Amino acid sequence: MKETRLGEFEEVILLLVGILGEGAYAFKIAEEFESQTGRSVSIGATHSTLDRLENKGFLKSEMGKATAERGGRRKRIFTITALGKRVLKESKDFKMALWEQYPAFAGKLNYGGVM
Amino acid sequence: MKQHKTIPPALAQRFLLRFLRVDLAEEVLGDLDEKFYINVKTKSLFKAKINYWYQVFHYLRPFAIRKSESMYSTSCAMYKSYFKIGWRNLLKNKTYSLINIGGLSIGLACCIAIGLYIWDEFSYDRFHTRYRDIYRVVDQQVMGGDIFNIAATPGPLGSALTSDFPEVQQFCRVSRMRSAGILQHGESAVEPQELLVVDNTFFRVFDFKLIQGNGEKALREPNDVVITQSMAAKFFGPDWQSAGIIGKQIQFSDDRVLTLVAIAEDPPTNSHIQFDVLLSCRYDELNSPYYNWNSNNYHTYVLLDPNADAQALNSKLYKHLSKYISNTTDITLSLQALSDIYLYSDFDFQTDWSKTSDIVYVQIFLAVGLIVLLIAISNFVNLSTARATKRAKEVGVRKVIGALHKQLVSQFLSESLTLTSLSVCLALFLLQLLLPLLNSIASKSLHIPFQEPYFLFAIIGFTVTVSLMAGIYPAFHLSNFQPAKVLKGLFASRSGQLFRQTLVVGQFTFSVILIIGTIVIYKQLTFLQNKNLGFDKSRLLYVALKNDLPSKALLMKTDLQNQASIAGVSLASNNLIDVVRSTGAVEWEGKVSDDKILLTHMNVDYDFLSTTGMTLLTGRNISPSISSDTVSAYLVNETAAKRMGWNPTEALGKKLAMWGYKGEVIGVVKDFHFRPMTATIEPFLFRYWPRESCSGLFVRAKANQVQQVISAVEKIYKKYDAKSTPYYQFVDEGLQNQYRREQNTARIVSCFSVIAIVVSCLGLFGLATYTSEQRVKEIGIRKVLGASVSSIVRLLSQDFAKLVIIAILIASPIAWWSMNYWLQDFAYKINLEWWMFVLSGVAAIGIALLTVSLQTVKAAVINPAKNLGSE
Repeated sequence: MKETRLGEFEEVILLLVGILGEGAYAFKIAEEFESQTGRSVSIGATHSTLDRLENKGFLKSEMGKATAERGGRRKRIFTITALGKRVLKESKDFKMALWEQYPAFAGKLNYGGVM
Repeated sequence: MKQHKTIPPALAQRFLLRFLRVDLAEEVLGDLDEKFYINVKTKSLFKAKINYWYQVFHYLRPFAIRKSESMYSTSCAMYKSYFKIGWRNLLKNKTYSLINIGGLSIGLACCIAIGLYIWDEFSYDRFHTRYRDIYRVVDQQVMGGDIFNIAATPGPLGSALTSDFPEVQQFCRVSRMRSAGILQHGESAVEPQELLVVDNTFFRVFDFKLIQGNGEKALREPNDVVITQSMAAKFFGPDWQSAGIIGKQIQFSDDRVLTLVAIAEDPPTNSHIQFDVLLSCRYDELNSPYYNWNSNNYHTYVLLDPNADAQALNSKLYKHLSKYISNTTDITLSLQALSDIYLYSDFDFQTDWSKTSDIVYVQIFLAVGLIVLLIAISNFVNLSTARATKRAKEVGVRKVIGALHKQLVSQFLSESLTLTSLSVCLALFLLQLLLPLLNSIASKSLHIPFQEPYFLFAIIGFTVTVSLMAGIYPAFHLSNFQPAKVLKGLFASRSGQLFRQTLVVGQFTFSVILIIGTIVIYKQLTFLQNKNLGFDKSRLLYVALKNDLPSKALLMKTDLQNQASIAGVSLASNNLIDVVRSTGAVEWEGKVSDDKILLTHMNVDYDFLSTTGMTLLTGRNISPSISSDTVSAYLVNETAAKRMGWNPTEALGKKLAMWGYKGEVIGVVKDFHFRPMTATIEPFLFRYWPRESCSGLFVRAKANQVQQVISAVEKIYKKYDAKSTPYYQFVDEGLQNQYRREQNTARIVSCFSVIAIVVSCLGLFGLATYTSEQRVKEIGIRKVLGASVSSIVRLLSQDFAKLVIIAILIASPIAWWSMNYWLQDFAYKINLEWWMFVLSGVAAIGIALLTVSLQTVKAAVINPAKNLGSE
C-alpha cells in the first residue's frame, strides 16, 4: 500500500515546491526553507524528502536546462502533481475543520489574542 | 594540503561520488556547487569548505546511496586473511609486540595529555558568546627611558570611548580591591578572596550567569552587591536558594551597608576574570579618590559592533588619551583581544590581576609532547623494518601467488592501523589512570571528554595520522622485496640499516636535549632560590593588616616585641615580595632637567633594617630620637645612588625630594632584590613617615621558635581584630610562589624526559634483540675461536654507542641554543656549563649501554654449541 499521509516537514516542502514554481530544485528549496522558517536544513535532507514525495506521487520531476553557474550541470526541477495539490488541500481543510471545533478560536482565527 | 583556489574540496567530491547513486550525481554536484559558491561569497572559503563536507555527509541517506556490488565478498576475505596473519605475527613475537604497543601507547598518552592541556589553555574566555568583539583597552607608558605595559586604565576612559567612537557599543570596567574587607550579615561574616568592582554592564558584556536577580538592574546603585553561589552557601548556608536572600543588607568593612541584588554562578575555571563578590563601580565614581584621569585603576573592556574594524579603532585609539590628559605624549592606548588576555599578557606593576598563563609554556609543552610522540613512532618504524627479514618469505609467497604491490602496502598499513588503534585504546586507558596525577602536577582540572563528538573525531583522525606515519615506510619497504630473491634466501639482512640508525640517532638527540633541558631548568630554579637577596628571608614573617588594624599597628608592634620568641618587629607598607609601588615624581641634587627615573618606595620604621637583615653601606639608619627623621630622612639603595650620579659615600647629605617632600639622603642600603629574578634591581627608597599608617608588619622569629611566633601572632591579631582571619606569610614561601610556573614546567619537562628516555630505550632494546639474533652464528663462531664474553659484549654494544655519541654531538648545540633562549627571560641566571652537557651525555650513553647489555650479555654467554648445532 502506498503511504499517503503528509508529515509536517513534507507538507512545508510540498508547499515550497508550489511557491517556487519553475525554480524548484533541491538547493533552492532548502534555501527557501531556511529563509522562511529560520531552521537550517541540509540539501541532502531536502533531497531525500523530495525523493520520497515523488515516490508517493505528489511530485514529479525532470531535468532542467544546463546553466553556467553550476559548472554546466543540469538541475532536477520538481513540480506538484494533481494528487499532490489534492493532498495539500485535504490537509488544509482537515486542519481548518479542527480549528473550527476549537471553542476558543471558533470563527476567529486569530493567534495573538487568547494566549 | 593547502589549497587556495575557490573550488569545492576535491576529496569531498570524490567521496561523494563513491557512494552516490550514479543517476543523482549531476544534480547533486550542481546543487552543492551552488551552495558552496554562495557560502564563499557570504562567509569564508574555509567555512564554505566545511559546509561542503557537511552537505556531503548529509547525502549519506538510504535513497541516495548506490546499491553495493558483489566484489565486496572477495576483498572481505582478503582483509580477514590480513588480519589473521597480522594477529599471528603479533602473538608470535611477543617481545616485539609489547615494545611496539607499549612504547607507542606511552607516547600517544603523553601526546593526548598535552593536547588536552593545550586545548584547555586555548579555551579560556571563549565561552562568552561575543568574545570576538570584546577587547581590553591597555596602555603603554614610557618612564625613565623604559617602556612599561600597563593593563589598567583611568576610570573615566570607558564612557569617554563609548561617546567618542560609535563602534564601541558598551564598556565594562573591572577593578580589584586588594585589601578587601569583611562581609557581614547578622552572625555570619565572610572574607571574600576575589572582590571585584564592576560596571552594571558586567552581565551583558560577558556571559557570566545569574541564578537569582536581574542582570539588567543589578549593580546600578552604588551600594549594590552580587555574590557567587559558593559565597552565598558560605554566607547563608547550603539551602540559601529557598531562603529569599535577595534584598538583604550586608555590612561591608565598617562604613558601607550593601544591598544584595543578585546571586551569580561561580565563574568558569577557564575565565581570566575570577570573582566571588562584585561591587558597583558607581560607588567608585562618586567616592573614590582614584577615580580620575590620572590614576590607572580599572581594566576597561569594550564591546565592539560585530562589523567594526578593530584594527582601525586600534590605530585611532593610539594617541586618544591626549584629548583628556595634557602632557601624555608618552602614554599610548591599544586594544587587546579578550581571547589573547589569558595567554599573551605581560604587564608591569601587577596591573594585570587576572588569571593568566604564558604562551611560551604552551609552546614548550607542545614541543615536548611532539618529541615523545616522534620517539615512539620511530620505535615502531625501527622495529617493523628490523622484523622485515622475518616476514620476507611471507611477502615473497604472497607476490608469487599474485598479490599486487598495492595490496601488500594496504596489508601492512592495515596492520599498523590495527596496532595503532590498540595503542590508542591503551593510551586512553593509561591516561584515565594517570590524569589525577597530571592534574595535580599541572594544577588543572582536565578530564577526557569522551562524550564530545569533536574529541572522538580528533582521536580517529589522530589514530589514522599516527598509523600512516608509523606504517608508511615499513609498508613500502616490505612490499618492495623481490620474490625471487627472498624465496631463495638471498636476502640482505642489512637492508634499511642506515635508515634505522638515523632514527635511533634522532631519538637519542631528542632525549639528550630533554635531559639537558631538565638539568638547566632545575639548576636555574635552585639558583633563584639560593641567591642572596640582600636580606635574610628565613624565619621572616609578614603580617598583613586589614580593616582598621593599620591604625593600631604600633600597639601590635609593642605587644609582639614583648614575646620571647620574637627577635624583631618592624612596620612596613608592603611585603618584600614583588614591590611595585613606584613613582616618577622625584627630584634630586644635580638632576638633569628632563631626566626621569622610576623610584620604587616603601614606608618603614627604624627597626626595618635590623628586622629584615639588610646591610647599611654608608651613613646611618633612621633614628627614633631624631625628630626630623620623620619628615626629611631618606634611605636609598646602591642602584638609586648610582642612578642619581653618586657613589655611596657621596650620596650622604644630598638633597632629594619625593612627591615634593624635601629631605636628604642619610644612608645607602646595599642592593637587595624586591622583584622576581626576571627583573633587574632598580632604584629604591625607604622613608619613615609615621603619619602614613602602615599596612604590614615584619616579624623575625628566633631560631627554632617559628611555631611559637605563629601562635603569638595569631593571638595578638585576634586581640585587635576578632572578626577577620589573620593573614600572614613567610617571606621565603612567598618568594618561592613567584616561581611556581617555572617549577611546574620543570616537573612536567622532567617527567617527559624520563618518558622519552624510557621509550627510546624500549626501542633500543628491541633493536639489540634483533641484532643479536641476526648475529647469533657469528657470535658462536667467535666464541669457538676463543673470544671472551666481554669482547663480544663490546663488539655488539659499540655500534649502539656510536649512534648515541652522534646523537649527543647533534643535541648539544641545539640544547645550548634553546636553553639560552629560555634563560633570557631572567635578569639573573646561571651560565650554561660544559659539565651539564657531559653529564647528560654520560647519562644517555650509560642508559643506552645498560639497555643494550641486557640483550648482548645474554647473547654472549650462550653456549656456542647450541647456536651452531642447528645447522
